[in-house]
Amino acid sequence: MKALVIDDSRVMRKIVGSILSGVGFETLEAENGQVALDTMAAHHDIVLCCIDWNMPVMTGFEFVVQVRKRAQWRDVTLMMVTTEGEQDQIVRALAAGAHEYIIKPFTPEAILDKLQFLGLVEVQETV
Amino acid sequence: MTIPATWEPLSAVDPVLTIAQDLFTTMIDGEPGHLNPWAGADPDLEDPRYTWVDVNGPVVTRVMLTASRVTGERLTRALLGMDTVEYVCDADFADAVGEIANVVGGNVKSLVTNPGALTLPVVTHERPDMDTATCLLETYFGWRGAPLGVGLWALT
Amino acid sequence: MTLAADTFDFVATLVRDRSAIQLDRGKEYLVESRLAPLARSAGATDVDAFVRALRADISQHESVVEALTTNETSWFRDLHPYTVLRSTVIPALATAGRSPVRIWSAACSTGQEPYSIAMTLADNFPSLKAHIVATDIADNVLAKGRSGRFTQLEINRGLPAPMLVKHFERQGPCFEIAPHLRNRVMFRKHNLLEQPPGGGPYDIVFLRNVLIYFDVVTKRSVLARVRAALAPGGYLFLGAAETTIGVDDTWERIQVERGCVYRTREGKRI
Repeated sequence: MKALVIDDSRVMRKIVGSILSGVGFETLEAENGQVALDTMAAHHDIVLCCIDWNMPVMTGFEFVVQVRKRAQWRDVTLMMVTTEGEQDQIVRALAAGAHEYIIKPFTPEAILDKLQFLGLVEVQETV
Repeated sequence: MTIPATWEPLSAVDPVLTIAQDLFTTMIDGEPGHLNPWAGADPDLEDPRYTWVDVNGPVVTRVMLTASRVTGERLTRALLGMDTVEYVCDADFADAVGEIANVVGGNVKSLVTNPGALTLPVVTHERPDMDTATCLLETYFGWRGAPLGVGLWALT
Repeated sequence: MTLAADTFDFVATLVRDRSAIQLDRGKEYLVESRLAPLARSAGATDVDAFVRALRADISQHESVVEALTTNETSWFRDLHPYTVLRSTVIPALATAGRSPVRIWSAACSTGQEPYSIAMTLADNFPSLKAHIVATDIADNVLAKGRSGRFTQLEINRGLPAPMLVKHFERQGPCFEIAPHLRNRVMFRKHNLLEQPPGGGPYDIVFLRNVLIYFDVVTKRSVLARVRAALAPGGYLFLGAAETTIGVDDTWERIQVERGCVYRTREGKRI
């Protein structure tokens, strides 16, 4: 399964990417929303996007709005991974079509919990 | 100028320390206990770098981190999972310390009602000119023996 | 860094005496990692030095026990128990006319489990009457649970964003659960080796990820107390790595889709 990690910080792309590859995703990267849209158009098998909010050129919020305009991407799971933690922002992102929301900072387990809930990885029962 | 009421809680060290500790515990150290208030006199930072994000709202507020280049390199290696001796290029350095400022700034912003929008991080060698700014908070934390400056300023 | 054997033995004895939790040899890393922050904040050079000081100073014993018995917890942990609750257990109890449904979340830690149950009920069975009793041995986690306030890091662990915006409100650095959910959960101090908390008999008991810490004799004793607290036809949820099989055969394991739940074998009830 392919996942796209969208963040203007290479450090953050690497951190999120390595968590996703650890559970079997093939990960692609994009440094802003526009590059992410281009990447989506070139790879039709992306099932998950992890999306930063504040980025140059096109924000993550605008990316979510654009993705939700296209029927062919309706099954793609959109998860915000951002430092924007105000309740209003979370409500806005969900209303625009994001499925999940993680506030930075986060642990790898936080990402995995969400992916389990979304049915994208098997539930690894914890001890 | 006076500090706006909505930002006032952030003139105490505790909220910012908690934010920074959460970040260091989860993404830098992988365990708690390594970031604490700096004990003793304000330190002199060798070859300092200034990293900040602004919150552009009714008040423009700057969240700035100050660290020596060497400390910033250690932070970069920790975030990127690099070896302790590996060379840190300028781009990785700016990216890593910028992201730390971004996470601290974003979380600080979440504590304020109607704060405004967060800018992208900026990293410089020179301390930015903030002569007319009002300082809300300026303090130092110690991370594994190294000082890290953290400050909040109201710019307008 | 390796922990001295006498340090480990001292801590293991202390924890067993206070909580019945068994720390076997091989868990040195756990003692080391859980106590390192306490040692640092006490200004000790390492965990061994910290524990040496503990021998003469009982004021820190409670926090040592809490550090070793408090487990990281997440919302909707392992997911399946909540699916089974929603798809099977609550509908069966409703059909049987149980009202109010009485639920005991045992060893509830900071409250994510009982509040996850409360949200599952509120979202799927809004008219169901239910009482949730949540118990733990440690005062600090109960106080936290009662407050209904969770940090961002805690919220990040498994709470679906749609539920976050529906049931929580941001209060400064924390998110606070809605009062109607907070009021639905009664937090009480309780040791699993003592008589079950009042408020039963219970239709549902969550006893998850706690039996693993006990030796087999203690497991039997805890399960016997839970059995006594369970209403006829009641349901028990255990952790993923836990089972009654080979420990206490008065229980029957029932597989439901990907999850499982335990019930007493009626014929064997004493």
